[in-house]
Amino acid sequence: MLRCIMRMTGNVLKIAALCGLASVGHAQTEAPDTTASAAVASAAPAPVQSAPRERSWRIGAAFGYGERTNPLIQSDDIPVLVDVDIAWFGKRWFFDNGDVGYTLFDRPSSTTSLMARVNDDRVFFGKTNTRYVNFAYAGNGYTTALPPPTPSSGGNPGGPITGNEEPPPVQVNPPDRDYAIEAGIESLIDGDWGAAELRAFQDVSGTHGGYELSAHYSRRFTAGRLSIAPTIGLSYKSAQMNDYYWGVHRDEASGALPEYHAGAGFNFDGGLVTNYYLTKHLRFALSVNYERLADQIAASPLAEDDYVLAYFSGFAWTF
Amino acid sequence: MKKLCWVLVACGLLVNQPVTAADIPAARLIVKPLLCVIDREAGQCAMTFRIRWKSEAAAEYCLNDSALSTPLRCWPSATSGTHDQTREVSEAFIYWLGAPNGTQRAAEVKIDVLRLDSADRRRERRARHVWDVL
Repeated sequence: MLRCIMRMTGNVLKIAALCGLASVGHAQTEAPDTTASAAVASAAPAPVQSAPRERSWRIGAAFGYGERTNPLIQSDDIPVLVDVDIAWFGKRWFFDNGDVGYTLFDRPSSTTSLMARVNDDRVFFGKTNTRYVNFAYAGNGYTTALPPPTPSSGGNPGGPITGNEEPPPVQVNPPDRDYAIEAGIESLIDGDWGAAELRAFQDVSGTHGGYELSAHYSRRFTAGRLSIAPTIGLSYKSAQMNDYYWGVHRDEASGALPEYHAGAGFNFDGGLVTNYYLTKHLRFALSVNYERLADQIAASPLAEDDYVLAYFSGFAWTF
Repeated sequence: MKKLCWVLVACGLLVNQPVTAADIPAARLIVKPLLCVIDREAGQCAMTFRIRWKSEAAAEYCLNDSALSTPLRCWPSATSGTHDQTREVSEAFIYWLGAPNGTQRAAEVKIDVLRLDSADRRRERRARHVWDVL
């Protein structure tokens, strides 16, 4: 137990140091640019008035149609008909749709916060179906039914059935997985070149015991009322994390679901968020996101697809 | 019958009475576009506004911009008018139609400004929840 805690703490510290160094280093290299842009602004003939103070709360809702595919076997895609946005931002603390953060540093070009969140891999395991599978043995040009696995057969189907008897179908359920509470650090960096997000999270709930590192880059282009923001990114998920969600553990293995241990790997994703602003509060939103799952996840008997595709189109209202 | 005549005369007087600055007739004011979207790169929008107004009763109307102390344009004894204005916008303001030197507004239209960028970059963080697609 002590070793486990020490290992977790060590990972978080390493991750924190990595993100902290990245953000501090970036802040230092950005400093001359900030001065230069301030000088240009002061020389401009019509100085732009400072933005009015923003409200702490951000509440909004989008109504439309969208879907997020579910790579888990025997599971339904996740429909998105309503997307609710609830966030609160204080000077240090903030809440953003389930993520809770405490801002450590807020520099001209970066903001670094300690974060807590709920892992989102668990969501795929919430819309599963039970399916019944008939085991069959093919050989010598004909097919013979096999009896379903029994506890004594170690989950493997038994020998061929003689005669015309049909074996009862075997129930195959994707295994249950729990939500994990993860804590970590997040650095948001931006400039004229766009915006980057660096994140490092470690499980602190003892659910999977793993960690995730991610980096994303996005840039928003605005023309009149239309804004388009492409995003690309990657995330590295540790072996413990991938194995917990996508491995088939020994006690879950059967003839239909062979034992499998997922290793660490990179997920890659890219997306596009488009908004057309009809009024100050109402906009038409269109978004699409594609995530390529790590080979170690895609090779799992629990994974039906090696990608997750999400899209949404609808009207969004921000209060 | 006599009473009815008095009522009709009174109504006629009211209808023909000249419009004063104190009670300018209501008008319909239409302005396009109504929204300026500002992002990080541009601190303001360069916009050309097409302003149209229409009223049932003729009067002297002046078009005002809440950011300016003097009217943009006045129409003596008119029931309609159009005006184009090109200006840079960085804050919300109001176009309003009223009598010359008066404060009463026959109609008004607000031009909104939406800032996509935020001084607090945490507001632009990309949430990665399964239900969050925006």
